[in-house]
Amino acid sequence: MIRHRETTRNYQRQRQPLTFARASAYGFLLLAAVSWGYILLGTESGVGDLVSAQTWSDAGDFFGRLLGLGSGVQPAYFQGDQWVEKGKLAYDTLAMSVLAIGIAGIGAFLTFLPGARNVSNGGLGGSPSRAGLAVYCLVRWVFTLTRAVPELVWAMVIIFFLSPGILPGALALALHNYGVLGKLASEVVEDIDPAPARALRASGAGGFQMLLYGILPQALPQFITYLLYRWEVVIRTTVVVGFVGATGLGREFRLSLSFFHYTEVGLIILWYLVLVIGVDLICAWLRRLAR
Amino acid sequence: MWRLFDNRRLLSLFLGVALVWSLASVDWGSAGVHSGGGGTLREFVLAAFPPELSPDFLRVGLAAAWQTATFAVAAITIAVVVGLPLGALATGQVVSSSSRGRALAVGARLFLAVIRSVHELVWAVLFVAAFGFSSLAAILAIAIPYAGILGRIYGERLADVPDEPLRALRASGASPVAVLAYGRIPIALPDLLSYTFYRFECTIRAAAIMSFVGIRGLGFEIQLSLQELLFSQVWTLMLFLVGLVVLVDLWSSKVRRSLAA
Repeated sequence: MIRHRETTRNYQRQRQPLTFARASAYGFLLLAAVSWGYILLGTESGVGDLVSAQTWSDAGDFFGRLLGLGSGVQPAYFQGDQWVEKGKLAYDTLAMSVLAIGIAGIGAFLTFLPGARNVSNGGLGGSPSRAGLAVYCLVRWVFTLTRAVPELVWAMVIIFFLSPGILPGALALALHNYGVLGKLASEVVEDIDPAPARALRASGAGGFQMLLYGILPQALPQFITYLLYRWEVVIRTTVVVGFVGATGLGREFRLSLSFFHYTEVGLIILWYLVLVIGVDLICAWLRRLAR
Repeated sequence: MWRLFDNRRLLSLFLGVALVWSLASVDWGSAGVHSGGGGTLREFVLAAFPPELSPDFLRVGLAAAWQTATFAVAAITIAVVVGLPLGALATGQVVSSSSRGRALAVGARLFLAVIRSVHELVWAVLFVAAFGFSSLAAILAIAIPYAGILGRIYGERLADVPDEPLRALRASGASPVAVLAYGRIPIALPDLLSYTFYRFECTIRAAAIMSFVGIRGLGFEIQLSLQELLFSQVWTLMLFLVGLVVLVDLWSSKVRRSLAA
């Protein structure tokens, strides 16, 4: 009986230690409380507006106007040339997203190897070198920097150098996604089974042969999966980059909104949804091919 | 059997054609560096060595980083609170009737797909136009698509939990909700957490670009410094973004290691 009670007590003691995970949970709750406190008290939170009937009727009017209610003029939805015009912008936007993910993918593909720890420290065979470590640190730093800065901020910087068009927006999207893809791809290589590469190295394969037969067959399918997943993200973000990059649906969205052409805004959102859903479907199909 | 178009070949062909098409859509005649752009580019790159490190400006950056972090935290809390139940519904396993469960699952998945298809900044611009400028508008704008993406991934991870431990729970008379709370969620917890941390990192960037609708924070300060062509300040602010992202990364990996131990 006594022993039973002791075991129970031991069991309870074991269950309750303040692990880092548990402390983090409490820490996050505290952080959330402080953040919400700051936002509600220290910023123009807008909580007061939420209880005012005026706000809601204004908002209702706004969304009604997007749908073409009560405007008097003929809504853009019923004008064929409006569909064509916005369709062309959607086409540009799609091209921009493909160009962005293409540049990001090629860039990441060319640099993900030295960014993998097991490649630079000789874990896959080969000898560790100080130069390899330096390159590893540099590549990882570039991945982190490009990834940490959002596409829109890159776009605001890039328009200082490049003429407006598809290219600056695509480059901005590519920079951020290069960091994301590079990090993901490097981690794929860090997780691969080292046996094939080591065996190849031991039987005298050169670096390129090792890459071709020891690393890529394992890493490439995962890389393609990530590429497609990022394309789904990019198509959603391309519109936003158009806000600053002055191209495609994004630019038109901002212009129409500031000219109060509400139904055109609605039509642009419609085309945007067509793009997003279309790309999601294409990616689902391509993923099946990759399997 | 060798076929002209096996799946891999078709995939490579598709990716290649897409890239060539996108390159062809660029108007190369007018594209490129505009006059004076080359000089500005050099100026921008050189401004990173060193970035602006005066105590006064570091204080500005720190305050901005704090503001951005609070918005990110606020948005991710809503996204998790909304996304988790929707993700659980999307598994189709929360009610005992399987036909009703499937109907709920289809509804939840469709809803999640709709709310995650629009980018947070598009939501933000629309909300500000509809409700007026406010921090809540920006936070909701981030929380909506993030609830959609979190719900989708939560649903997938919760559905992928191995069935044996769940069967044991069911055999001892646990209700579907109890199976979820004591079986699926604890088993999937490391995966759920690591994905949530990743999305938390993304909300930091989302909060930063809410500067576009006038929300203060790192993006706001970057815009100000860009307008005044103070590139070394821009680099400092970017480094603050890097700092926040690295912090979240470190936190995430330490929590995962602690759970695994």
